[in-house]
Amino acid sequence: MNTAADRTGGAAMDNEHPESPGEQTLNIRAVADGADGEVEENGSERDEPGDEAAVGEGASSGAPDAEEADAGDVDEGLGDSSGDAEPSDEPSGDSSEEFSDEPQVLDEAVPSAAEPDADADVVSAADVAHAADAVPAAAEAQLPDEAVQQLTAALGQLRESVSDLRFGLDLPGAEEARKARAELLAQLEDYVLPRVKVSTAPAMIVVAGSTGAGKSTLVNTLAEKNISRTGVRRPTTGTPVLACHPGDLPWFAEGDLLGGLKRLDKPSVEAGPDSIVLTATEKLPQGVALLDTPDIDSVVEEHHEIAHRMMDAADLWIFVTTATRYADAPAWQLLRLARERGVRLAIVLSRVQPRSRDTVLKHFVRMLTEYGLGDVERFVVEESKVSDGRLPDSEMTDLRLWLAELSVDGERRAQAVRQTLNGVLDSFRTRIPELARHMEGHVAFRGELRTDVEAAYMGAVTRIEESARNGSLLRGEVLARWQDFAGSGDLLRTVQLRGRPPKQLPERLMAFKAALRIGLESLIVSAASKASEEVAARWRRRSELGSTLVTGLERPSEDLVRRTNRAVSAWQEHVMELIRTEGVAKRSVSKVVSFDADALSLIFMVGLFGGQTDGVPQRLVKALLGAESLRGISLKSLSDLRARISMLFDEEAMRYVKVLDSAGIPDESAAARLYQATYNLEVAR
Amino acid sequence: MTTPLATRGALVPRLAALSKVVELGPGRLDKKILSDAGTLLLRAGDRLKLSSDHTVVALAGGTGSGKSSLFNAVSGLELSPTGVRRPTTARTHACVWGLEGAAPLLDWLQIQWRHRFSRSSALDKGESQLHGLILLDLPDHDSIRALTDPEADRLIGLADLVVWVLDPQKYADAATHRRYVAELAGHDSGTVFALNQVDKLAPEELAELVIDLNDLLRREGVSQPTVVTTSAVTGRGIDSLKSVLADAVTRRRAAVQRLESDLDRLVRRLDPPGEAPASVDAARRVGLTDALCDAVGVPAVGEALENVHAERSAAYVGWPVTRLVSALRPDPLKALRLDDLREEIQGLADGAVTAQPAEVENAVQALADGLSVDMQPSWKAAVQHAARSRSGQLPQALSEELEEVAPRLGFVPGWWRAVQVWQYLLVAAFLLGFIWIVASLTGIPTGISLVEDPASLPWVGIAMASVLGLGALSSVAARNFVVLGASKERERLELEMRRRVGMVAEGMVVEPVERELARHHEFAQAMHTLRR
Repeated sequence: MNTAADRTGGAAMDNEHPESPGEQTLNIRAVADGADGEVEENGSERDEPGDEAAVGEGASSGAPDAEEADAGDVDEGLGDSSGDAEPSDEPSGDSSEEFSDEPQVLDEAVPSAAEPDADADVVSAADVAHAADAVPAAAEAQLPDEAVQQLTAALGQLRESVSDLRFGLDLPGAEEARKARAELLAQLEDYVLPRVKVSTAPAMIVVAGSTGAGKSTLVNTLAEKNISRTGVRRPTTGTPVLACHPGDLPWFAEGDLLGGLKRLDKPSVEAGPDSIVLTATEKLPQGVALLDTPDIDSVVEEHHEIAHRMMDAADLWIFVTTATRYADAPAWQLLRLARERGVRLAIVLSRVQPRSRDTVLKHFVRMLTEYGLGDVERFVVEESKVSDGRLPDSEMTDLRLWLAELSVDGERRAQAVRQTLNGVLDSFRTRIPELARHMEGHVAFRGELRTDVEAAYMGAVTRIEESARNGSLLRGEVLARWQDFAGSGDLLRTVQLRGRPPKQLPERLMAFKAALRIGLESLIVSAASKASEEVAARWRRRSELGSTLVTGLERPSEDLVRRTNRAVSAWQEHVMELIRTEGVAKRSVSKVVSFDADALSLIFMVGLFGGQTDGVPQRLVKALLGAESLRGISLKSLSDLRARISMLFDEEAMRYVKVLDSAGIPDESAAARLYQATYNLEVAR
Repeated sequence: MTTPLATRGALVPRLAALSKVVELGPGRLDKKILSDAGTLLLRAGDRLKLSSDHTVVALAGGTGSGKSSLFNAVSGLELSPTGVRRPTTARTHACVWGLEGAAPLLDWLQIQWRHRFSRSSALDKGESQLHGLILLDLPDHDSIRALTDPEADRLIGLADLVVWVLDPQKYADAATHRRYVAELAGHDSGTVFALNQVDKLAPEELAELVIDLNDLLRREGVSQPTVVTTSAVTGRGIDSLKSVLADAVTRRRAAVQRLESDLDRLVRRLDPPGEAPASVDAARRVGLTDALCDAVGVPAVGEALENVHAERSAAYVGWPVTRLVSALRPDPLKALRLDDLREEIQGLADGAVTAQPAEVENAVQALADGLSVDMQPSWKAAVQHAARSRSGQLPQALSEELEEVAPRLGFVPGWWRAVQVWQYLLVAAFLLGFIWIVASLTGIPTGISLVEDPASLPWVGIAMASVLGLGALSSVAARNFVVLGASKERERLELEMRRRVGMVAEGMVVEPVERELARHHEFAQAMHTLRR
């Protein structure tokens, strides 16, 4: 019975070919490679390779069961003439139209020729699958419960890992990553998870395309009901509208598919971006639902997002473009996406002027073929008077037929659904690692910035130690005060013979102490200031983002001077305390002399920073306290100073770390978890 | 931003200011803005040099909006191929009304020779008002071909006036609005919107659409959009489009207006350079000198000078007897077996003057911070860089400069020695008197009759007491003189040191900073001119 239809097509084609040799090669390439030899001989055979390729893809990825594959084959064989004949015939239709007087020879003729047969097919297909109602049961059997559970678990894990991701830093590509993450999450929740659980639900067909392409008009016409607003204003549709058979309505109303969206009865102005309008119409066949979406390319950018979310959740795509738009860049971006995702796609070229139909179609087909989409099902709608938001019904015949077939032929539908689902799951193989790489980039970037901070403050500590060691601290006022202290005899007066009370040392000592404190303070402050500048410079050099983050942190914190003052004073007190408590004079010394601990601690500090090992201060202190004791005090006071400086600098460095942390980047394991989840998903499939 | 009458006269100083900004900008402005500014300068220079009698009008729009049809309708000739395949036009076509002088302009626009057409004056008797029009039919900017072909983008950037050809299907496309219209918002004069293909619409639909389009454009910041409805098929609206073009052509201001608005747009992207004094004022200089003096320890050096002088002078001008008494006391250093330390301690106070590097850095930093507090970050960084350009050598330079005036703590003035001799003389006189008395009392024959005369003894006693008193008195007086002299010396020293520190600071810090401040000032002025 299919041969009848094919012969018609084949005969028509055979007649046309000699007239357009150029077209011929094009068509053959589009449909099946290496089949040109057979074309002339047998039209029906010519169809086979293309179909098998399509079916084979669906079966191999979707149904590991041998039984299932068989069922598919049987089905395919039977359903061949009506459904699959169409796409493969269409290219030849284009070619024929190019030169024929009557433009609609094949586009219209083939389906109408096949129409009577289609009904017959329906019966036979139903027979094989034990009646149309039983089709879902057959599809369900493909994925045993256990497998479904595993897959659901793997997907759940994946969803969690994805939702854990945060791209807090505005690195190049972060905006895209954020979007990709949101898309992935929405697709998992709206589509993949519900679809895996119930793979038998009615197929959702999204109608997507440019603004003004006539998506709403198409849906209205197919539904024979004005369910979506049409008009001259662009963009027209802002809220997606889902039309389905009344029997499917409960499923869409309560199901998990697009579960995050609010269901509405009719479009309303205040409907937010997270809502969807549900309508039932008898005119649509059961098992297929049409989803009218906002545009993908108007000035209203929220529309693009909604449209993409809808497309992510759909089982099949009908892509609508027009004769003026078919070369638009956004349209081809969408087609590329469809190709990447392996989505089941049908293309509607609408608003075609009858007189330019051939040229436009030919050109469009060539572009599609170059793009690797030459064998996609295509429908042409001519520019005609739109009345009451609908096109003349005559333009819809073949599309309607296509829908009817999908509705009736459960296996075919299930295949389409599976193909898209598999395509989406396949796309995870690239999309998720990409996201993970981004995450790693984020983590690495944060790590680099943290290293910068650490390195800068390490450098600062080293600088201070260097200055403390090489005697540069003993310059300026400190030196002058030391000279004063030594030259005025105060130094000698520090040590007194035993029995005489140590002289109360004058304010000169206080001035000397203050000078030492200020010298040390300014050394620390200058090192901290250099470190903060270095951090700023390093971050700036890293990237644009680094300079944004470091804004306001180029200088040390305001209370650094105060805190340093406190730290150094405390250290001086600590050293005095050390000298007082641990600096017990040698017995032989203490018999004869006594000393002033405060003054001695200053002399000790000069010795500590003096840069020499056997200067006057060292010798004096050593003579009084003994080498052992001096060493102990030196070590203790130096390590105390180091600890105080580290504490100061830790607080300084904290400011940068805080900025980084406030961006909220998860730890390194997030990316690893993502990889693991992807792997688990592959195992579960 | 107000747009006063756009004239060449007003434009030229602004362009000069822009070139100043570009000259001073590297390192201070974002690279992208800087290169855009450079491009604009070049373009403005080129365009102003080229024919001012011609007005370049570009027909731009999405693929299929009917640019070529409109182009043909306006020119009245079938010059640009139209078609149903999308995209149709890949190369720009130009039609010139009044060819003389237009060739260099067309060369600049890079229109190929075979795509140039002209309306000879004989043909357009009734179109003399279009004389001077160069109409460009651009390729589309939104098809997949345009992704790799910047032709449309380039010419939209160059044209004096852009006519956006919109059609009912695509008038709200993001490709047109986001990339161009919203970007050009704020200057309405340089843009005209032609809503083409209105023949496809019913009258009431058209009315609705025009309202919607106007709303859309207003939302994007085009306050008074010029919208012309046209149809290349029926010829409707072509005349109104022509009259809009003729208006632009006869006024001959489109080129300047376009440049003005491009300039305005660029200026809006420029951050204000921030406020800063044009030079370093006296208070800041004093502040810097003070801070550097502290880093050197000028007051401490002065104090040390006083104290050390007072201590050391005691060895010369003090009453030797008191010194003798204190020298007899046991020395703690000796008890510690550190006798040689005394010498070394004496040597410590050698009067060396050095600067503390960290404090010097902080002083310079404080000056730069104070000056640049209201500056834009890049300028702030520049001022700080200038301030610190030589701060590495600054401590060394200060030390060297002050070496000459460093106090000579070990120096012993001559009068100290004179007083010392005097004191010893007094001691000798006292001893002489002592011997006198002893000799007189013991009766040792001295051969001097006066000595042996007991009657002289009271006089000798009186003389000895006076010598003692004189010694103590001169010691106190000399000490006072020492202190007085030291404090005078200190004052002189401090003044001299301050002067020298100020000099070094002027040369090594203030001067480079002022150079940068002057640069900033110049830049700010140029920005001011640019902003008007």
